Amino acid sequence: MSFSGGRLFRDPVLAVGLVVVVAFILISILYPIMTMLGVAFSADGLALLVKYLTERIYLNLVGNTFLLGIVVGVAGTALGFLFAYVQVKVDVPFKRFMHLMALVPLISPPFALATAFLILFGRNGLISKGVFGVRADVYGLSGLSFVLTLSLFTVAYLNLKGMLQALDPAMEEAATNLGASRWHVFRTVTLPMLLPGILSSFLLLFVEAIADLGNPLVLGGDFEVLAMRVYVSVIGLYDTTAASVFAIILLLPALLVFVVQRYWVNRISVITVTGKPTGNVQMIENPWIRWTLFAVIMAFCVLIILLYASIFIGAFARVPGVNHEFTLKNFEFVIKGYGSEAMVDTTLFSVVATPIAGILGIVIAFLVVRKKFRGRALIDFGTMLGIAVPGTIIGIGFLLAFNVPSNIYLPFQDAAGQPLYITLIPKLTGGRALLGGALAIVLVYIVRSVPAALRSGAGALSQIDPAIEEASISLGADSGLTFRKITLPLIRPAFLSGLIYAFARSMTTISAIVFLTTPQTRIMTQQILNETEQGRFGNAFAYCVILIGIVLAAMAVLYFVVGSTTGAERGLEGGA
Amino acid sequence: MKLTRTITILLFLSVFGLLAVRAQEDTLTVLCTPQEDWCVAITQAFQEKTGIQTSYVRLSSGEALARIRASASDPEFSIWWGGPADAYIAAAEEGLLESYESPNAEGFEPRFIGENNSWYGIYMGATGFCSNVQMLEELGVDAPTSWADLLNPKLKGMVAMAHPATSGTAFTAFWTVITLEADKLEHPDGDMEGEGTGEGYTEDGVPTQAAIDNAFAYFSELNNNILQYTRSGLASGPMAGRGEIAVSIIFSHDCIKLQVEGFEGILTTTFPEEGTGYEIGGVGVITGAHEPEAARMFLDFALSVEGQSTAQQVNAFQIPTNPGTPVSEMSVDFSQLQLVDYNFVAAGSLRTELAERFDKEVAPQPAE
Repeated sequence: MSFSGGRLFRDPVLAVGLVVVVAFILISILYPIMTMLGVAFSADGLALLVKYLTERIYLNLVGNTFLLGIVVGVAGTALGFLFAYVQVKVDVPFKRFMHLMALVPLISPPFALATAFLILFGRNGLISKGVFGVRADVYGLSGLSFVLTLSLFTVAYLNLKGMLQALDPAMEEAATNLGASRWHVFRTVTLPMLLPGILSSFLLLFVEAIADLGNPLVLGGDFEVLAMRVYVSVIGLYDTTAASVFAIILLLPALLVFVVQRYWVNRISVITVTGKPTGNVQMIENPWIRWTLFAVIMAFCVLIILLYASIFIGAFARVPGVNHEFTLKNFEFVIKGYGSEAMVDTTLFSVVATPIAGILGIVIAFLVVRKKFRGRALIDFGTMLGIAVPGTIIGIGFLLAFNVPSNIYLPFQDAAGQPLYITLIPKLTGGRALLGGALAIVLVYIVRSVPAALRSGAGALSQIDPAIEEASISLGADSGLTFRKITLPLIRPAFLSGLIYAFARSMTTISAIVFLTTPQTRIMTQQILNETEQGRFGNAFAYCVILIGIVLAAMAVLYFVVGSTTGAERGLEGGA
Repeated sequence: MKLTRTITILLFLSVFGLLAVRAQEDTLTVLCTPQEDWCVAITQAFQEKTGIQTSYVRLSSGEALARIRASASDPEFSIWWGGPADAYIAAAEEGLLESYESPNAEGFEPRFIGENNSWYGIYMGATGFCSNVQMLEELGVDAPTSWADLLNPKLKGMVAMAHPATSGTAFTAFWTVITLEADKLEHPDGDMEGEGTGEGYTEDGVPTQAAIDNAFAYFSELNNNILQYTRSGLASGPMAGRGEIAVSIIFSHDCIKLQVEGFEGILTTTFPEEGTGYEIGGVGVITGAHEPEAARMFLDFALSVEGQSTAQQVNAFQIPTNPGTPVSEMSVDFSQLQLVDYNFVAAGSLRTELAERFDKEVAPQPAE
């Protein structure tokens, strides 16, 4: 099925879809980023840029950021690989449990793991000091990269697990039959075939790590990174120019990595992920290797449980880590203060954003995968920018772009001699913004979630034979009807995983919305930030527990509403 | 088709959900600088009393000042409540605070009433050291009783304070050291009553550049012992409580609050013997406020006994400025303290400049 450009626009449903998508990308992704670039490359901004790139203290900041990215990229990919390898290729008990534990960090409210880590392993940690009597120094690179690795490795795990499963066992069998040892096969066959996956996991983790805001704020110590500086420049000093300049220093590597990951790594891939593997996976049988791997993975699983348990227990403790007298005071503060407002707002905004992001993502996937028109690669790229660009940058972009209404001035004047104008986009951020800034926050949630929906949708679509859709069109259905009745049902699992991911992501995001909250809109992650920064970990944990509860409940509802059990399971394992 | 229906319903829900978000019926927006729980208590008390829908954002005082400055043409907030007066004086000098004569300020000491009634004092609090007893013992150090004690090499990485650019708490500590350095230059013999050398203070009573440079030298040295500069002034207190550091430089009332709220027997409050600084917490109506009437009502409330009594609901042990407000017995007795002669006006005028210099010269430097 090939549409020419002309044909595309003769199909009204498609044309409308395309216009909506393009408007979305232009207004809510490109415009904010461009506004921020404009500020960064203004005369003031350029002077700062030169300064930041020449003075030693600022270069240290840049160096720290990249160092953190590399360490977390390597460690997270290694850990993800270990989990995936054991899951697919090693015969050990409790695999289901390991899989679940690897997925748990997907729902981690910002700061939660870092704070829990501090309580368990900090200078006065319950485990480091209490059990081992060691005064561990976790502030700085070591603690930071450890916590980031734990909270981000899931991405690498899912990525590599998928690849390992898709790996054709025939290759390894052939090598074994030719007399190669297990280690030799692993080194010369398995690893090279996984290289693209490993590389792309590394790059994804690298970007997530350099963009992370929450963990450095808690565990940074004197190890300062760019994201922290962006944050302090806006919240602390309200110097949006300096913030924009720090932000573009962060933006360049993030974009570079994104382009490399998306357009180069994917091209060198030697695996046909869509093909069904033939033959049986050879399991590792050597007991030494098996049980060593088992012990290592179990240790990490226990660690994850410990961290989450201390969040839960801490929520009911008078002072987590110090005074464990049972109390409901933390929940009382959260619910009686402005916390309940934050809960309602955050949930409501996420509930609004999630279906929109899901549908938008699937529509874009449909346009990009199924339709042939000039610029579809650009649409794909533009949408993906929403996640390729660090959250703080989206946040600043929104703050700068939508802090004043965008007006078009008409060549007329009113009676008082004032020029007449039409407000194109009202003031969306800051004080007295439209709907108290709610619209901006919902938009940001959508921008950050659409890419995942697009990728899972595109993945699912490329595995469905277009002939089915063609048949529908031949029978007289227009493309809208075909999309609704044929395509959507077929990609339902992908749609569901997109939705779940979008919701969890919205509920737990901090960096993108931290500059957009107003007195009228309270966001839970922002409240968690406040409590954490002021050292009231009990309140922060109470928020986290409620947040985790909401996300889990929403997942259950989504399974119930959208997914059949099998479809849902496929969606979560394959997508997310 | 079930799925289509589900999606349609979801979409409808979305749109209605968004529209249902409150239609900006708020009538007072407070910029709040003290601890979050006090912000909640006073805004809720005010809301109950007046029926005015009140919301707040909590920002540390330097942040608050920056935010008011940035939104001066279309203020986001109508009133600023709490945080050291230095920042209020800086704001008033830039014309960011409106002059308002409150009937409730009657009987207030003159130092609690800002020039042109641009701000009023609502409480007082003294800078102190908040130390973890057990940590000090392990390190073999006594609880610090002078600024010089903090430079002890045994305390490397064991001290924390906030950044003076964002935090009023930290700026008060910073100005205290400036004042002490100025005193040293002015009276090298230590006799404060005697004739001054003119080295420490200018004729207007403002600390000289030399005194300021000496203070910077002190903080550069202290930087080697500092683990982290927090954004918010009181954040380093709980760090000391959890034993991540040994000494936190914060307001003494915040340390006492921590002791009452779970860190009893863990933290101890001490003061520098050579002299400590103090804050006068301020309140002021923001120029061009969109809710001026409600803001003035809030200011009146903040000066009243009723408003100031909200402090005790949340263990805020600052000394209230209204002579009629009962003082908690947990509060620090100011008459027992060696207080420096804190020049609020000079501190307010130099605040922005000093905070920026601190950011450039001291804070971004990694500790050696």
